[in-house]
Amino acid sequence: MLESYFSYIIRQPVISAPVFLNLLPILLIWRKRAYNDKLLLILFVYLLLKLGVDLVMFDLASHRKNNVVYYNVSIPIRYVLTSWMYYYEFDSKLHRRWVLASWPLFVAFSMWDAIHTNPLMSDIHNHNVVLYSATIESLLMLFWIMLYFYNTIRALKIPNLLSYPFFWICSGLLLYYSSFIFIAPVLHYAAKWDQWMDIGTLDYIPYVFESVSLILFSIGIAQYRDKSYAK
Amino acid sequence: MQSNDELKLVLLIASIAMLMMAFFVIAFVMYYQKKRFEEEKRINDIEKNYNRLLLDTALNSEETERRRIAQDLHDDIGTMLSLTKLSLNQLSKLVTNSGDEKEESIMKKSQSLVEETILHVRRITRDLVPTTLERFGLMEAIEEFIHKLEEDNNLVIAFHSDTEEFPRQGQKLELTLYRIMQELVNNAIKHASCTKIDIVLEIDEEMIGLRVTDNGVGFDPEKIKESNLAGLGLLGIESRLAIVNGTVQYEQPAKGGSSAIARIPVNPASGNKPEPLHPFRRERVNI
Ligand SMILES: Nc1ncnc2c1ncn2[C@@H]1O[C@H](COP(=O)(O)OP(=O)(O)O)[C@@H](O)[C@H]1O
Ligand SMILES: [Mg+2]
Repeated sequence: MLESYFSYIIRQPVISAPVFLNLLPILLIWRKRAYNDKLLLILFVYLLLKLGVDLVMFDLASHRKNNVVYYNVSIPIRYVLTSWMYYYEFDSKLHRRWVLASWPLFVAFSMWDAIHTNPLMSDIHNHNVVLYSATIESLLMLFWIMLYFYNTIRALKIPNLLSYPFFWICSGLLLYYSSFIFIAPVLHYAAKWDQWMDIGTLDYIPYVFESVSLILFSIGIAQYRDKSYAK
Repeated sequence: MQSNDELKLVLLIASIAMLMMAFFVIAFVMYYQKKRFEEEKRINDIEKNYNRLLLDTALNSEETERRRIAQDLHDDIGTMLSLTKLSLNQLSKLVTNSGDEKEESIMKKSQSLVEETILHVRRITRDLVPTTLERFGLMEAIEEFIHKLEEDNNLVIAFHSDTEEFPRQGQKLELTLYRIMQELVNNAIKHASCTKIDIVLEIDEEMIGLRVTDNGVGFDPEKIKESNLAGLGLLGIESRLAIVNGTVQYEQPAKGGSSAIARIPVNPASGNKPEPLHPFRRERVNI
């Protein structure tokens, strides 16, 4: 069993790397007890969930099974968790309400999308990557990120961005979603189980930037100072 | 296959463009934020300097005004009183010659009243302008100040300094320290109902410390500042200190009373002589 993992890692190092890089921010949050901070707690849950899904996908992929269904399910959860952080960081009530309103809409949409792209739900073997959800997710997230940056430079509340964890987290998310947004719609066509379309190196870009974003998260968490310590 | 390759290329270019934009956005946010903060800080600095200048001007004009009043008192009232005394002396000779007992006693009374008034005017003049401070420096001025106070109140005021010879400081700094000492001691007398006041003057290479401790009722400076009890005194101390980069700290010693410590960076007197005592000469207006 282990051999199949290893052979997969060796065959697909770029795809495997973020799975293990996930551990870095998780361990950092754990060691610094950063989960006392609400925002980093959400990130923590998000990363744990991502690690779980990644590991399952990784397991299935190394055993050559169709793992797409987990991916599809993780999209709405992942969106709710990441945008939740913005819900906390936004000062304006209006912006918070926008984030809240986007949750049921997006979840409903991604469910419709999953059913729409997979008329035969029971046929796991031929389960397809959702068509629109990932793209919409990227768009929404890019919107929240830009809105957050805009608010930050308007409000001038944070004296040093480089020592502010959420700035790093935001930058990581921005890079990840920017790399993903054009690839996402193609994945539906590319990642079909039976007729795999080779999009070559393109497929790797999101994985590379997933790794980059995880490293940025880790840098951000390293900036975290326990408030009770500071006192 | 042709269109597939083209699609790949388009996607690759689009993704790279998107990423470049993302990098640009992050860099821009960082740069813009930093610039805005620097600007903010510069404006703050300018504002602070301006406020300080205003304060300095206000305090300077206060001192000038004191000098002017002292000058007028001394020159006008003082001269008049001296003349009055002279005339009274002449008058007294006449009265003595006439030999009327009652007239003579009234004469004596008027003379002593005039004498007393002259003394008062001199005292007020010297209170307004601390001449001793300008001529002999802080130690002498403080000693003179407490000497006068001890005469009128039954109080023990002790003064220590950690050096025999306190080096002369810049004029403004000495005046600041003197006025602060005056206010703190006056406060102790007015509010603390104490029996003993300790004044300590310390100096090292960088700082001058002035500590005034009383054994009275004590007070909580935070509460005073929050409530509107804060009189001009404590605020005045702070604004005087702001001009010379000084700080003040109030403590409540365990054994009761209160203690205030003012610290000011040293600023030795420059070689040039102190300003002439009465630079302000008012033009006489004849009506
Ligand atoms: N040494 C002291 N002991 C007790 N209370 C004091 C002392 N110094 C100041 N205070 C309190 O602080 C208040 C503010 O003092 P101050 O600013 O000098 O104003 P003022 O002397 O005009 O009342 C005083 O009213 C008094 O209640
Ligand atoms: Mg007072």
